Amino acid sequence: MLINTGVPTREQLDRLLPSPERRARGPYAMVECFQEIPCNPCSTACPFDAILPMKDINEIPAIDLDRCTGCGICAGVCPGLAIFIIDESKKDGTATVTIPYEFRPLPEKGETVNAVNREGDVIGDATVTRVLASKRTKTPLITVEVPAELVHDVRFISLIDEQSFSDDTSSESQKSPVSHETAPKTDDEDEIIICRCEGLTLRVIRDLIREGYTTVDEIKRISRAGMGPCQARTCGPLIAAEIARMTGQQVAEIQPSAHRAPVKPLPIEFFLGGDSE
Amino acid sequence: MRDRRITEHPILDFKTGEVIHFTFDGKPMEGREGDTIASALHANGVKVLGYHFITNRPRGFYCAIGNCSSCLMIVNGKSNVRTCTEPLRPGMVVETQTDRGVPDDV
Repeated sequence: MLINTGVPTREQLDRLLPSPERRARGPYAMVECFQEIPCNPCSTACPFDAILPMKDINEIPAIDLDRCTGCGICAGVCPGLAIFIIDESKKDGTATVTIPYEFRPLPEKGETVNAVNREGDVIGDATVTRVLASKRTKTPLITVEVPAELVHDVRFISLIDEQSFSDDTSSESQKSPVSHETAPKTDDEDEIIICRCEGLTLRVIRDLIREGYTTVDEIKRISRAGMGPCQARTCGPLIAAEIARMTGQQVAEIQPSAHRAPVKPLPIEFFLGGDSE
Repeated sequence: MRDRRITEHPILDFKTGEVIHFTFDGKPMEGREGDTIASALHANGVKVLGYHFITNRPRGFYCAIGNCSSCLMIVNGKSNVRTCTEPLRPGMVVETQTDRGVPDDV
């Protein structure tokens, strides 16, 4: 599902697809925007009013494909990089897709690159036919040619034989490609720091909850969590969430700890404005 | 010395300001106008900003907005300075902090 994976469903995509006649006629924009967020650069930037004006800035953009020329201006201004220009009019078994690509280095015209789908998997080769780096929007638009049957799946490219990022300090941070299988176990209680000021790990907090300290205030008094320089800004919500999880309550039911600013004696001159007069 | 700053970025332009000299644990270092203390240290390859006073674990950038306590250092003799948001100034004496620090006098 989109909300969990970032990948729209086939149904959501099919609803965007223009009629077969429109697809055969020339390039058009696929506005793959599915969430109501306050954002409208696509509709204000379109010189042909093809992306319809919004009554409410939260609206999902609606496109009039008879007015759309496939110029690509919307693809360059979309902050979510959610707009692609598709051209299926060539009828020689190939089609082009124009992709906003905010990475360096840029590919070159004629270069063969990996064609990547919405899930992030390489599904074939693509040939770069145009690299447009507009000074105005700064988001480079890369047009690639792909087999026509892949044009609705290819939504990103990656460069072949991209040299891996290396740092002269790489010996201290030797990176292996992170996959979900090899990533460090996120449940490692001794590695996860809950309170950064007092150096308390998840294990310390869980042990306290198991011992019966089941309010944020009790944990603060026994462990000092929340009494350091950050004053519970980092650990407070994390401890509340852990208590909720372990005691089967809703986080909203967990009271935050009492906030008492650190106190220290001050000379009376401080309040009188500094002069000892 | 290799500068670890981002020089090429698809969207943003980074202006480099005047050179600012400061010291870290006695070592002379160079930052740029507009740096925070921690960003200048990172540009110099210093990623460990301190050690926790109980666990002794190294601490580095964490929130980078002045919220957490991960980047506290001693600056010009004053402890518990949030170096991620404190602007770098010429001649600053920056030191690693390994204790709770001392409350400053008013």
